[in-house]
Amino acid sequence: MAIKLDYVVRETGSNLRRNITLTLASIVTVMVSLALFGVALLLRQGVDNATQRWEGGIEFVIFMNAEASEAQLNAVASDLDSSPEVGRVTFFDKDQAFEEFKDLFEGTPEIIETVSPADLPPSFRVVPVDTDAQAVEQLASRFERSAGVREVVSAQETIRNIESLTDVASVIVLIGSMFLLVAAAALIFNTIRMAMFARRREIEVMKLVGATNWFIRVPFMVEGLIQGLVGALLAVGAVFGANNLLERFLSRRSSLQLLESFVVASSDVWRTSFLLVVIGAVVGTVGSAIAVSRFLDV
Amino acid sequence: MIKLENVTKAYKGEVLALHEASCEIGKGEFVFLVGPSGSGKSTFIRLLNKEEQPDKGRIFVAGKDIGELSSWKVPFLRRNIGCIFQDFKLLPTKTVAQNVAFALEVIGRPKHVVKNQVPAILELVGLSKKMNNLPHELSGGEQQRVSIARAFVNRPLILLADEPTGNLDPATSVGIMRLLDRINRTGTTVVMATHDRGIVDTMRRRVVELDRGVIVRDQARGVYE
Repeated sequence: MAIKLDYVVRETGSNLRRNITLTLASIVTVMVSLALFGVALLLRQGVDNATQRWEGGIEFVIFMNAEASEAQLNAVASDLDSSPEVGRVTFFDKDQAFEEFKDLFEGTPEIIETVSPADLPPSFRVVPVDTDAQAVEQLASRFERSAGVREVVSAQETIRNIESLTDVASVIVLIGSMFLLVAAAALIFNTIRMAMFARRREIEVMKLVGATNWFIRVPFMVEGLIQGLVGALLAVGAVFGANNLLERFLSRRSSLQLLESFVVASSDVWRTSFLLVVIGAVVGTVGSAIAVSRFLDV
Repeated sequence: MIKLENVTKAYKGEVLALHEASCEIGKGEFVFLVGPSGSGKSTFIRLLNKEEQPDKGRIFVAGKDIGELSSWKVPFLRRNIGCIFQDFKLLPTKTVAQNVAFALEVIGRPKHVVKNQVPAILELVGLSKKMNNLPHELSGGEQQRVSIARAFVNRPLILLADEPTGNLDPATSVGIMRLLDRINRTGTTVVMATHDRGIVDTMRRRVVELDRGVIVRDQARGVYE
């Protein structure tokens, strides 16, 4: 009772051709919605990566020289401990710095290989009592001239702004893409309904001579699946394209500040792509399955 | 082969299509269902291949209670039942041979079976020369022959015919009846709903008469009235 592959291919192919405009509409809708969805996810991921060290209220980081002596470290540490303006301090030694570095670049092992813990600066992450911008600035600048300090980097207004802005933006884009996905499912549903209407005589004869329900259903469901999948694959292409453009743009602008740049690991891109393909397939199959069960009456 | 036990069927808001109908049809019989329009002939036929469900009563086909049949098994029931209609139900974009082959392909018969069976059955119905014609290029009688070929190509146990000569002139109808008679002689049970007095009176087969859903007459070697 196997359903023959060549039969399914032939029927699905002719259905897709017959309704070419509707098919294209469905595919484009799936593509646009999933591309938006994917870009929003990656944007979030990128901003998370770029602002990772500013989580939990940390307002500035004192980076020591990689070769700073024990005495210099202790001096800065006790200075911090004795300052009443400092609320909490976390010390990151070289190994922890390396862990963080690996996290940031987990998708690009080539970069991790060029670095060892010894190359990385230990650092103090400071949570001040008063988070007012000016107070933070003042406190941070006190440590800039201490012995063994390489630089003091503070979470400026801009980083906070970027964080909240991307949060809002990505939520809006995600919601928009959800609506588009629903539209895509509805379009696929309609395409399948049209395809079934065009073939109603054949379906009637098939039922009459005893074709099984699955035999009748499968070509239509495959048709929906293909629309979802093709749309998803185009969306993956768009996401990769967008990511490439972004990387090129960033590497021109901020090649020096590697650690601080906006990085999306290629593993993130792959994971997102996989998710998009799965969603596309699900939307296509669900859309066509509903149409088939509603209008086939088998 | 076919047994109805007190079968009742009503459509929404309408009079009964069948009322407490009981009837038994043996293997290899040829039965005419007669009666005026709306007397329940078509419902009788549609109940047999489970296009409709009875409201009450039981229906047995080939020894099985088809009311107990789960829906996924219905296609397998229909493989044992050929159907022909007044309006032929041929696919207009397929040739004669493709129309017949379609019936075998969609129940998963292998290619070599299709290749052997289709010419053989077209020979039987006398359409070998028109294999590659499209349905609209054929006369009504020829189209009905194609539909008979499609219904019989799978060698079903039962052939159901709903007014098969309703659209044909008397001379052509005789040819169709000869063909159905030949099929009946191979051991296939034939149940035919008809209005055609002439056919019923010349064939002299079993006649079951329906009137407003009630079986009012069941007569061996009967006539139309």
